[in-house]
Amino acid sequence: MQLLETTRNHQSELAKYCRTGQYNPIQGVNERHVGRYRQLVINVVDDTLRSAFPLTCNLLSPDEWTKEVNDFFSSHACQSPQVWSMPKEFWAYVKDQQPAIVKKYPFLDELLWLEWLEVEMFMMEDKTAGHTPAGNLKKDKIVINPEHHLQYFTYPVHLKNAQQITKTDKGHYFLVLHREPVTGKVKFTNLSPFLARMVELLAEKPRTIKELIKKTSREIGIVPDQQLAEDVLHFLENALAGGLIHGFVNK
Amino acid sequence: MTGIGFRKDFAEEFLQSSVLQPSFLEVAPENWIGVGGYWKKQLNKALKRYPLFLHGLSLSIGSPDPLDLDFLRKVKTFIKETGAGIYSEHLSYAKCDNAHLYDLLPVPFTADAVDHVSERILQVQDLLQQKIAIEIVSYYTPVAPEMTELEFINAVLRKSGCDLLLDVNNIYVNSFNHHYDPYQFIDGLTIDNVSYIHMAGHLKIADDLIIDTHGEAIIDPVYQLFDYAIRKLQKDVPVLLERDFNIPDLAELQHEILQLEKIKRDALKEKSYATA
Ligand SMILES: [Fe+2]
Repeated sequence: MQLLETTRNHQSELAKYCRTGQYNPIQGVNERHVGRYRQLVINVVDDTLRSAFPLTCNLLSPDEWTKEVNDFFSSHACQSPQVWSMPKEFWAYVKDQQPAIVKKYPFLDELLWLEWLEVEMFMMEDKTAGHTPAGNLKKDKIVINPEHHLQYFTYPVHLKNAQQITKTDKGHYFLVLHREPVTGKVKFTNLSPFLARMVELLAEKPRTIKELIKKTSREIGIVPDQQLAEDVLHFLENALAGGLIHGFVNK
Repeated sequence: MTGIGFRKDFAEEFLQSSVLQPSFLEVAPENWIGVGGYWKKQLNKALKRYPLFLHGLSLSIGSPDPLDLDFLRKVKTFIKETGAGIYSEHLSYAKCDNAHLYDLLPVPFTADAVDHVSERILQVQDLLQQKIAIEIVSYYTPVAPEMTELEFINAVLRKSGCDLLLDVNNIYVNSFNHHYDPYQFIDGLTIDNVSYIHMAGHLKIADDLIIDTHGEAIIDPVYQLFDYAIRKLQKDVPVLLERDFNIPDLAELQHEILQLEKIKRDALKEKSYATA
């Protein structure tokens, strides 16, 4: 026997109430206690979003935050069966729907994306790349940590306190996030356009520092000099120490 | 055997000491599927030392929506990867109108819902190629009921033949909230299907309402009901201590585990009490 239309409707009514907080009488329901369900559901959603987006939650006033969370949950049908990944849908909702709050904070979707990236990078499945930790940064082919993500922003959401970001900050910002192999912590590194392109090239395949400087310089249209070579080496040394660079190609 | 819900809140402390000594761990597959990095390492550490049981949250067996077969396949892979012994789910729904709700809503106690749920349990068992255990959930209101909760549960068990996860605390909570005798409820239950037991604490928030929080210690009346259920059952099934919030010292959890083991041991020894 199929589920009857009436049963289906009763279930749908209760679900709707949980999503919107607006109760329409349902047959047989204890009206004194049904409110627990709305409360339990919205608490889970609110808590999950708060812990994924602490910076956004801090930026918005309590009323603004509550309104966005409620609008999101009542109008968007959450697709993820895994609650920890539901916040990505909140980011996508803000980006696609452009609620009024985006006028006040034009960088909001980038801030949400930055915060989501940290969650996703922390949680994502392991990726491995063959490499050896022993090698010479100056001449060996360098292997980047495959657990990284290169990101471009138009607002400095990773550099400035969100409260202090204004329209005049609009520009070109690059950063790379990576998951530190031992601790699993997510690290952020701010990048110049030159370094961003270099990281991108390294993600394509292992390359030597010489190849990286040559190809990046040609593409960007600059003539490499001694200072640039030193800066790049310095960046790569830090990247190796911090786990963004895994090591070197196995010989 | 008595296990504990493996929570991220105490995972690290638990794995680093020997204070808490469960005989198995239980996790929600939703919290671990597709997860790598730090938490994968912690889970792997745990899996080296303990058998694993899975207790799902989002299968939504009672939903009007179609089953999420893609997700179920992921669960199947996860069962294989972790060697999990039991996969249990809730007799409730957590998704409706194509939207996940991230909580367990009560299914109307109706004949069509019995058929619907039973069919879906069979479908899940068929895909997983294993029996599942279904948990009686705590609920705060019935929805358009045509029959009693007990009739509903027994009908689902009869029709689907699946196992029953007996959450003794849920029965206590429901009996209080819906004014029935929990002992009579257990007497009426198709108890032969019980393959797994949950025990937990709860919170009384009003004169007429208890919330199933898993955030407090187990109270004596729930221990007593557990004792009664084991005497009735007369078989040794795994028991889980659920503690999801307000985590105390691990020594306190260990104390609860020992308490559960003692009650079970004594109840199984004294067969003469069995069906008194
Ligand atoms: Fe339970």
